[in-house]
Amino acid sequence: MKAIMGLEIHVHLLTDSKFFCRCPTDYENKEPNENTCPICCGFPGSKPKANKKVIDCTIMVAKALNCKINPQMFFSRKSYFYPDMPKNFQITQYEIPLATKGYLEITNKKIGITRVHMEEDPAKLFHIGGDILSAKYILADYNRAGIPLIEIVTDPDFRTTKEVREFLTKISSILEHLEVYDSSKEAALRVDANVSLEGGERVEIKNITGFKNVEKGLNYEMVRQESVRRMGMEVQRETRHFNAETRTTASLRKKEFEEDYGYIFEPDLTRIEISDKWLKEIDKKMPELPDQRIERLVKDYGVTRYQARVVVYTDKALADFFEECCKIYKKPVDIIKWIVTDLLKSLNWNKVTIRKSKVKPKTFIELLKLIDTGKITARLGKEVIKDYVVTGKSPKEIVEKKGLTLIDEDKLIKSVKEVIKKNSQAVEDYKKGKKKAMEYLIGQVLRKIKARADPNKIRRLIEKLV
Amino acid sequence: MKQDILKKAKEINEKFNVFITIADKVETSGKGKLSGIAISVKDNICTKGMQSTAGSRILEGYIPPFDATVVEKCRKEGAFIIGKTTEDEFGFGTFSINTGFDVPKNPLDPERSCGGSSGGAAGLTVAVDFPHIAIGESTGGSISCPAAFCGVVGLTPTYGRVSRWGLIDYGNSLDKIGSISKTVKDTALLLSVISGPDEYDSTVLQLKQEDFTKHLKDSVKGIKIGIPKEYFGEGVDEKITKLVWQAIKKLESLGANYKEVSLPHTKYALSSYYIIAMAEASTNLAKLCGMRYGLHKPIKGNYDEYFSEVRSQGFTEEAKRRIILGTFTRMAGFREAYYLKALKVRTKVIQDFKKAFKNYDVLIAPTMPVVAPRFDEIAKLEPIQHYTMDILTVGPNLAGIPMISVPCGLVDELPVGLHIMGDHLQEGKIIQVAHTFEVNK
Repeated sequence: MKAIMGLEIHVHLLTDSKFFCRCPTDYENKEPNENTCPICCGFPGSKPKANKKVIDCTIMVAKALNCKINPQMFFSRKSYFYPDMPKNFQITQYEIPLATKGYLEITNKKIGITRVHMEEDPAKLFHIGGDILSAKYILADYNRAGIPLIEIVTDPDFRTTKEVREFLTKISSILEHLEVYDSSKEAALRVDANVSLEGGERVEIKNITGFKNVEKGLNYEMVRQESVRRMGMEVQRETRHFNAETRTTASLRKKEFEEDYGYIFEPDLTRIEISDKWLKEIDKKMPELPDQRIERLVKDYGVTRYQARVVVYTDKALADFFEECCKIYKKPVDIIKWIVTDLLKSLNWNKVTIRKSKVKPKTFIELLKLIDTGKITARLGKEVIKDYVVTGKSPKEIVEKKGLTLIDEDKLIKSVKEVIKKNSQAVEDYKKGKKKAMEYLIGQVLRKIKARADPNKIRRLIEKLV
Repeated sequence: MKQDILKKAKEINEKFNVFITIADKVETSGKGKLSGIAISVKDNICTKGMQSTAGSRILEGYIPPFDATVVEKCRKEGAFIIGKTTEDEFGFGTFSINTGFDVPKNPLDPERSCGGSSGGAAGLTVAVDFPHIAIGESTGGSISCPAAFCGVVGLTPTYGRVSRWGLIDYGNSLDKIGSISKTVKDTALLLSVISGPDEYDSTVLQLKQEDFTKHLKDSVKGIKIGIPKEYFGEGVDEKITKLVWQAIKKLESLGANYKEVSLPHTKYALSSYYIIAMAEASTNLAKLCGMRYGLHKPIKGNYDEYFSEVRSQGFTEEAKRRIILGTFTRMAGFREAYYLKALKVRTKVIQDFKKAFKNYDVLIAPTMPVVAPRFDEIAKLEPIQHYTMDILTVGPNLAGIPMISVPCGLVDELPVGLHIMGDHLQEGKIIQVAHTFEVNK
């Protein structure tokens, strides 16, 4: 059965202050309710005042997503009662959002963007003694209340979760390049995913954090809907909650009708006109976007398109890192090879991003130079990287401390001779023309000398000595 | 001397219930345009450190951590705040009977209403014998109505002339803070202090602070007065109409000229006003749920049940009615027919006024269709009849134009208000006409 999927993506915008007051947005490592004021707590008598930076950022996003930007727009009140809502209404955009009708290209396909609008985040709730369905009580932290969000709504254009993943990866990279979003912050990007099987009702999975969870949630939901149908039942229209631990979804509420939020225009905020002059100012601020960057990396550095995509889409900071390295060491092809293989592997293994790691261009290049000048072998380089990513110490130091420099000629010859003596069968095989036997012998030597010699040199020695 | 004023305020309050809160002591911060003048503040306007309930039990005990901009400006000009005046809960009424606290009585006849919703402000103004100006607030007529019923002057400025920061909202697109006092001069003085730009209110106009007392000229020579015929129709007490016409003739004798004018959308203004005001009010009141401030109850059940419990107890019947009606008008399926339609009608009403002001400097009409009614008469009225009382004030309030009500005589020994309306930002003209009438009547 064909699946039809659409996304609503909520992104925390990277501004210093909240959307409608001057409280700081940085709520990590803060006491609960430390970043609050009468406005973001909705005290009687307080009024919102829109932060222009938020509108600037949203215009940039809308432009990057090829949207039509409305020349004037309004804010609206979306009313519903919930303990995370300071005013029991959310300031958002309804009839006339900032932008509509855009698209983003993924492989062989355009995904339509229905709209891009701004809204305020509610407070963060802590469910004590259980999850959202079983908690004994709830604590509310209003540090998050009023933080600016943009909501990107797509058309229902996705058919596979692979497309969803590609789209999210691309959006995330665009937002990073626009410098409006911090991908390392928990909950900086949350997704509501809608999915239906052809001819069936639509189910919304609410509030999923993390791309992988979006994929898992959608996959689970498709399987669930299929089995519901196979059992001869109808899929019900409802909102479901994704449990990241069990990787399953559970029903939150039935949705027989569209929820009714009783929207009115936000009367405390005036109509906002987005003039051509304003748009031109934003044009000047528009940075290079990921696809443009990939093309430039290919053209300017001679790296492959695949490699360029890896560094750009993994993390903008990784692409920045690559370019920084190229400034101090003019071997981009070697640099990118090391980045997309061993460095990335090591970072992932340690679950750390380039920005939060101790990896710096200067020391990373030091490592490449050790290899290029033959001080250590490439194979040893792979070992050094593991240590280097964890400690951030100078690779030279690591090499010296661990005694990883190459062993001298005499010792090497001695070791080769010993290996030949011990592995007569392999030597015979080699002489018979079995190439694998040679690889085996080289491997044995490397093991014996803890890889402190160039494999090619060992090969030549074996050839000479057998 | 100031302690004496507090004593007097308490005595007035004992008789007429015009205050919800009276200050413990009087504090001033220096000298200025208002030094020596006692300022009373309608209870829906926040005063730092002094309870502000907007006339509702759901906000009983709520002490704002900040001053409204208008209060801060008054303090800077040397005024002292004597207390918070009684009102209909959140401004929901025309007679101040929809209050969570004691109903204010008209000092001219305690059997009668002060009007509303700024009832306490007008009642206090007529009762005091010390220098005093009241800060009032009007959404659909809440300054003009009580000023008329109590025989004092009430000035409602252009929407956007005065910052609403610190005003506990009723209908944000309609709410205007203004002044009530014994003379036109004092209302102009207070407006000069409280108006002007404010970075905390996005809807306030970026205009320089102005001195409105310079418009206190004794002259109406060449002033063109429009008489909106729809404002003299059915339901308006004939004796009131007669008095208002006498006032118009008086102004004519002083050099003004007048002509009848039509505001054809007047009959739709009332519905449009109530729909917009209630739609906005129903969202404004949502935050009052016993969670963060105001009334609290022991927690039982889930949050929906808890919110309902607090709101059932904290709001008066009228607030509940307006929440239900306001919510209805913005629900899917009705939103188009009510809320959005009302916004369109509002534009038509504004166009009526704009057209009239092309030819006239001011429009003059009665402020209220009746004199202050007795409480037993009010008790017999249906809610819709309450709303109809606002028929003459909602139009200009919906349009956001400035208006001033000045006493123009007595009917059955009760005061009648003359309503002088001006084009947007033409407070100067209405002050001039009102002042001229006041000194020559």
